[in-house]
Amino acid sequence: MHSIMPHRVDELSDEQLMDHLAGKEEVGAALSALYDRYSRTVFGVGVKLLGDRSLAEELVQEVFLKVWRSSHTFDSSRGSFSTWLYRVTRNLASDSYRKRTRRVNPVSDKDSYISATRDSSPGPQEIVDDSWLSWRISRALEELDPSHREVIELAYYQGLSQREISRRTGVALGTVKTRTSRALKRLREGLAGRDNLQEVRR
Amino acid sequence: MKCEEVRLSLGGFVLGGLESAEAAEVRHHLTLCPGCQNELKAFERINQALEAAPPPIDPPSHLKDEILSRMRAEKLSSSDQEMSSPSGELSSRAELRFRNLRFILPSVAAVGLVAALVAIVALGVFFGLQTSPSVANIQLIPTEEEENYWGVAELHPQPSGNQQVKLELNNLDEPRPDSFYEMWFVSGEKYISAGTFTVTPEGRTEVRLSAPPQARDYHTVLITEEFALDATDPGKEVKLRGEVP
Repeated sequence: MHSIMPHRVDELSDEQLMDHLAGKEEVGAALSALYDRYSRTVFGVGVKLLGDRSLAEELVQEVFLKVWRSSHTFDSSRGSFSTWLYRVTRNLASDSYRKRTRRVNPVSDKDSYISATRDSSPGPQEIVDDSWLSWRISRALEELDPSHREVIELAYYQGLSQREISRRTGVALGTVKTRTSRALKRLREGLAGRDNLQEVRR
Repeated sequence: MKCEEVRLSLGGFVLGGLESAEAAEVRHHLTLCPGCQNELKAFERINQALEAAPPPIDPPSHLKDEILSRMRAEKLSSSDQEMSSPSGELSSRAELRFRNLRFILPSVAAVGLVAALVAIVALGVFFGLQTSPSVANIQLIPTEEEENYWGVAELHPQPSGNQQVKLELNNLDEPRPDSFYEMWFVSGEKYISAGTFTVTPEGRTEVRLSAPPQARDYHTVLITEEFALDATDPGKEVKLRGEVP
């Protein structure tokens, strides 16, 4: 196995980095590179699933430690690293969800008024399919060129008009328009090329 | 407007970012052009998918270092265990001494390194989160559907035995006129009030409360809205609840 030189880490595919983790070669550099690529998605989806930033931070830690500990179980012939990581994230989030639910639901007969209250969060199965779409759109956004991601974030999340984006970024209005349309096209292509739900459920 | 111009502006149109005059021109073109209508539908599907996107936020910057430190500590710990249990029979005391030294020396070094790493991680956790192993952390979640308020309570045991409660609440509305919030420890039909408080309209509130030592044996925490100062048990308006770990 080749050694990962710092300038080469970015050139390695996710699957090659997983080979290094499994082969116990340069594990720190490999895990660090995977973290840089995926931590925003794991954290963002974690916040959506668990509704709590501190629980999502714990989830990020557990997910990447699991990636390291279970790297030998990853088989690139069965699906992409992204899909495998999504399953790891979803399963660990479900564990965290169950622990939280256990804390919410213990009710004795004496606590009659407490028994009237309930945890109304969606069930684990309900959140799985939504979370897969969240994961896919997050990955498609993360894989956009930074200049394209910027216009989408400013337009979609901050609600800026095309002219306001032009003023904010100092980029010509025509360029902003082109980038916005191209960004949406690339998102469309990115989503079309993602792994399907069957693969996720496997 | 020509198709090329419309396609250029269609992204901004779908995201609602065009000036009204330009948006009207695009809209007019779309009524006449099936090709651009198809493009519009494809963009609208993406716009819809964006609703499912998680919030574009970075995890805290210290998280990566914590993960890598934990990984290194675990690696050292496991390699130390492997080295401490060599297999095979030894033929003499001299060989035994030699072999023991051969494995003990690096193992002592590894244990020292692990201890140092664990200490560094523990210090990081201590200074980063301002907690210690004896601090109980309670997640408080809303009892009503569709509410988005939440909180965290930390119980800090004091030398006196009392529990100091550091309570952080987010998105909880100000109490109604003549009411206030109250924190309770609950065990069966026994209740201990940790004190009353109100919240600021900014959405995030931090308060310090105090509870007697026995509160540590009560396993449920409630935040209620109260109207009577002399209440000895919680009212029915339970806003948040949590379980003491």
